[in-house]
Amino acid sequence: MDKVTNVRNMSVIAHVDHGKSTLTDSLVQRAGIISAAKAGEARFTDTRKDEQERGITIKSTAISLYGEMTEEDTKEIKQKTQGTEFLVNLIDSPGHVDFSSEVTAALRVTDGALVVVDTVEGVCVQTETVLRQALAERIKPVVVINKVDRALLELQTTKEDLYQSFARTVESVNVVISTYFDKSLGDVQVYPEKGTVAFASGLHGWAFTIRQFAIRYSKKFGVDREKMMERLWGDSFFNPKTKKWTNKEKDADGKVLERAFNMFVLDPIFKIFNAIMNYKKEEIPVLLEKLEINLKSDEKELEGKALLKIVMRKFLPAADALMEMIVIHLPSPVTAQAYRAETLYEGPSDDPACLAIKECDPKSDLMLYVSKMVPTSDKGRFYAFGRVFAGTVRSGQKVRIQGPNYIPGKKDDLFIKAIQRTVLMMGRFVEPIDDVPAGNIVGLVGVDQFLLKSGTLTTYENAHNLKVMKFSVSPVVQVAVDVKNANDLPKLVEGLKRLSKSDPCVLTTMSESGEHIVACTGELHLEICLKDLEEDHAGIPLKISPPVVSYRETVEAESSMTALSKSPNKHNRIYVKAQPIDEELALAIENGTVNPRDDFKVRARIMADDYGWDVTDARKIWCFGPDGSGANLVVDQTKAVQYLHEIKDSVVAAFQWATKEGPIFGENMRAVRVNILDVTLHPDAIHRGGGQLIPTMRRVTYAATLLAEPRIQEPVFLVEIQCPENAIGGIYSVLNKKRGQVLSEEQRPGTPLFTVKAHLPVNESFGFTGELRQATGGQAFPQMVFDHWQVMGGDPLDPSSKPGQIVADARTRRGMKQEVPGYEEYYDKL
Amino acid sequence: MLYLIGLGLSHETDITVRGLEVVKQCKRVYLEAYTSILMTADKESLEKFYGREVILADRELVESGSDTILENAQEDDVAFLVVGDPFGATTHTDLVLRARELGIKYTTIHNASVMNAVGACGLQLYNFGQTVSLVFFTDNWKPDSFYDKVLENRKLGLHTLLLLDIKVKEQSIENMARGRLIYEPPRYMSIETAASQLLEIEEIRGENCYGPNTPCIAVSRLGSPAQTIRSGVLEEMVEYESGAPLHSLVILGNQVHDLETDFIVEFAENKDRLRAAIKEDAQNFAKPVPPPPEDDFSD
Repeated sequence: MDKVTNVRNMSVIAHVDHGKSTLTDSLVQRAGIISAAKAGEARFTDTRKDEQERGITIKSTAISLYGEMTEEDTKEIKQKTQGTEFLVNLIDSPGHVDFSSEVTAALRVTDGALVVVDTVEGVCVQTETVLRQALAERIKPVVVINKVDRALLELQTTKEDLYQSFARTVESVNVVISTYFDKSLGDVQVYPEKGTVAFASGLHGWAFTIRQFAIRYSKKFGVDREKMMERLWGDSFFNPKTKKWTNKEKDADGKVLERAFNMFVLDPIFKIFNAIMNYKKEEIPVLLEKLEINLKSDEKELEGKALLKIVMRKFLPAADALMEMIVIHLPSPVTAQAYRAETLYEGPSDDPACLAIKECDPKSDLMLYVSKMVPTSDKGRFYAFGRVFAGTVRSGQKVRIQGPNYIPGKKDDLFIKAIQRTVLMMGRFVEPIDDVPAGNIVGLVGVDQFLLKSGTLTTYENAHNLKVMKFSVSPVVQVAVDVKNANDLPKLVEGLKRLSKSDPCVLTTMSESGEHIVACTGELHLEICLKDLEEDHAGIPLKISPPVVSYRETVEAESSMTALSKSPNKHNRIYVKAQPIDEELALAIENGTVNPRDDFKVRARIMADDYGWDVTDARKIWCFGPDGSGANLVVDQTKAVQYLHEIKDSVVAAFQWATKEGPIFGENMRAVRVNILDVTLHPDAIHRGGGQLIPTMRRVTYAATLLAEPRIQEPVFLVEIQCPENAIGGIYSVLNKKRGQVLSEEQRPGTPLFTVKAHLPVNESFGFTGELRQATGGQAFPQMVFDHWQVMGGDPLDPSSKPGQIVADARTRRGMKQEVPGYEEYYDKL
Repeated sequence: MLYLIGLGLSHETDITVRGLEVVKQCKRVYLEAYTSILMTADKESLEKFYGREVILADRELVESGSDTILENAQEDDVAFLVVGDPFGATTHTDLVLRARELGIKYTTIHNASVMNAVGACGLQLYNFGQTVSLVFFTDNWKPDSFYDKVLENRKLGLHTLLLLDIKVKEQSIENMARGRLIYEPPRYMSIETAASQLLEIEEIRGENCYGPNTPCIAVSRLGSPAQTIRSGVLEEMVEYESGAPLHSLVILGNQVHDLETDFIVEFAENKDRLRAAIKEDAQNFAKPVPPPPEDDFSD
């Protein structure tokens, strides 16, 4: 690991059930950690009991693998390397959308991604999501088309159909990749002829790339290997009669030629499958000999699938193909950090910390990002899991622990503490290690108490933070939890703290009325979190409320008149108007394209060019809110007000809270812009302090919002359902009942499966999976991922409307006055 | 009728005779208890002295609940007691405005305030410029607009009276923003804090308005038996143990009258240093001497 050029940090990402963990097993097996017999079934990286039981991955798990390549292979590597030994730090991530935040955390610490796609199902919603996330983090992808055995055994496809299906999958992956083209990352589309696409069966433990076949045939034909690779994919045909290559489907006589890929790559595989599965005993030994596969005597006794597995594994061992693809095509930390540094670091790109990251310098000051917390066997303690981007981390080292809210030069969210121990994370085990240099992934003991979920560790005093992760999912489903036995309350509070630490995305809060709220991304996430809380973190029986959805408060129009509030001493007055922010801009703020930490001039330019803002307004944005980063803005439109800068902090503080707990029912506000039109201030500072201005700003924000046609927004899931044709009727009827809106219905070419996409309000999604199963005889499984916020029609202030009903219910539940206060409550007459 | 009655600086007996007579015959008596405090008296001792009940009025009541105070004041007599002089704290102009709106007549009974009693330190009241308040700084809130006012005063050679922040019953920022009525314990700014905050701002602004060697006077517990006055340079004030509240600080103008000098040097710990500092300070803000008119040699 000291030879950083020979390290590869990579994550395995994919849609749920496309076989990530299974495929990972073959790599683990090559490293000798599990036996070959178990590979494909053990799912070594699914360390939790429930993961094994349910057969899905919940938490991402890291493992370091050591591998040796041949001299010849290492020559292919187009970046700096030393020797033939390589270390692959692999993170297996969950595929279920509810756990996307785990993927985000995994991607942050890796440089490359192995994108696994099911041959039959193709590119699914989550494939696209994780790919998009990867590209945003400047992670280079390579693709594995998995479950090829299914296509052969279950669908019995022809060679050409299979080729077409591969080509289609590769193409749809490339469509996603090119949509998110990033100049600094260059062209990262994948090409089978370049060896960046592998074809595999994780379950059977075999895989191949075009490159491997090209090696075989280049000797035979005496053609250069690279040329051979190009010939083995795409519209390239071989005429056995003339022994010539051509790019035409037909030869001179009009006879149809066989595609080179089918002829040279698929043919041997088809032959093996055919011979073994049809029990053609006499053909098998001939075939084996031709392909130079030697079986042991006891293995020769096997037949059917078991024999197939052994033969294929010997013929095309998955680990070799994958290892080769990873090592040759994925960037080393040195290569990757050169282009990732600027997107990773919040500070200026020419300061020492950023330069050290760019060079991946193990001798500079430490820069380490903790992306998640991993529970230890010691209850309530966690390993801080992260990546060293610069410098070297050692046991006992004193470091600055900077939380996400740390601002350089301030003391908030900052601790200076020693790292107790550094460890390597190996699936379910850890191994102690003395020091870890830049470019590696590491576990730290002893910093968990000082970090909530993630943060930056550094030894450089003027270091800015490494960029805080943006999650693609948001916690929109929540429940209130309470103890069954009042004495257990302290345990619950402590358990909630631990739960919040152990999961990057869960939100635990206490409401005004003293309820403990757990907010998650979806029903499954919620279920897992509550189970963990009950059995593990708190260890006490819990009362759990039915799930509720979190909403957003917004406005539809500009305030019908200027809102005015006076400070308690009446000497200060603030005049504002509220107006809606365009959905595009709100989204840009939420996904970080428009960021409060950007240089205001650059940001103003973007807002003017892309979102039609007035540049002067865009430059005068005082703050984002809530939490300094939400999609609500305060814009200073005053003219020549004295002392204005002195009240800015009060206004900002007030706005954070006002947008966090909106006027309608205390939900976050969203997409509301508050323009400060004028301000009157007392001439003496003591009479215009926070005590006077904060309540005033809060009141005036509420008044302006209530005057601007307030509305509520509800979260909407994008649902993707794969099912056979006869189940579609059932799906429609369930969707109809639940206010769902079908977006598209497509048949996947070459398969009997249909994909239905629909929008479904989160509020209606509880129990959706169950009802769907019932209506379709268990044939349809939905994937639901948060998609957008949708304004609900109807006035939320009118209790007879649907939103009004939701508001009234929520207010009662939270112990607020039933009636939403009118703007008069916050408005002062001149 | 609304009576605004000044209570003076310290003792319950500092109230004027006219004021006392009014208090005794009023229907309701409110004591405003947040812009300042009476140093040697409290609600109980006042009630005992007046022989009647007094209602404590905190910020909440005065600013947000003025209707309660003014209720039926058209008919009844209501007294509103303010420490110092009723109009010393600008806040109460609002109460009068609201009383006017409701058609309530009002009368003011004045008393001594720090604004005039500060003459005790030996500086001439005529030579004071704009008065400013100095608020508690927080990590990210350091209002420095007072600096400009001190600078304006200093340029004219005028003294500046700095009133130091008191937080009798304040909410934390979070509670304020969420509109919760939860209060922090009272805090009073000491001379030491004020002096170091002043120097901090000078460092940031760097316009040479004042410096570590600028003469100033700390006036503590003015008007009470424990009154102390200490003069010296600003730097010395950072180390000064000012003791119990309340405090005010005067930054001297650079043109100090000889009589003023003689008077204040008596309060100094290091008399020679102060004298030297006053002399040196006189050189600041000196207008450039106009060049002597050239002799006209022409014939």
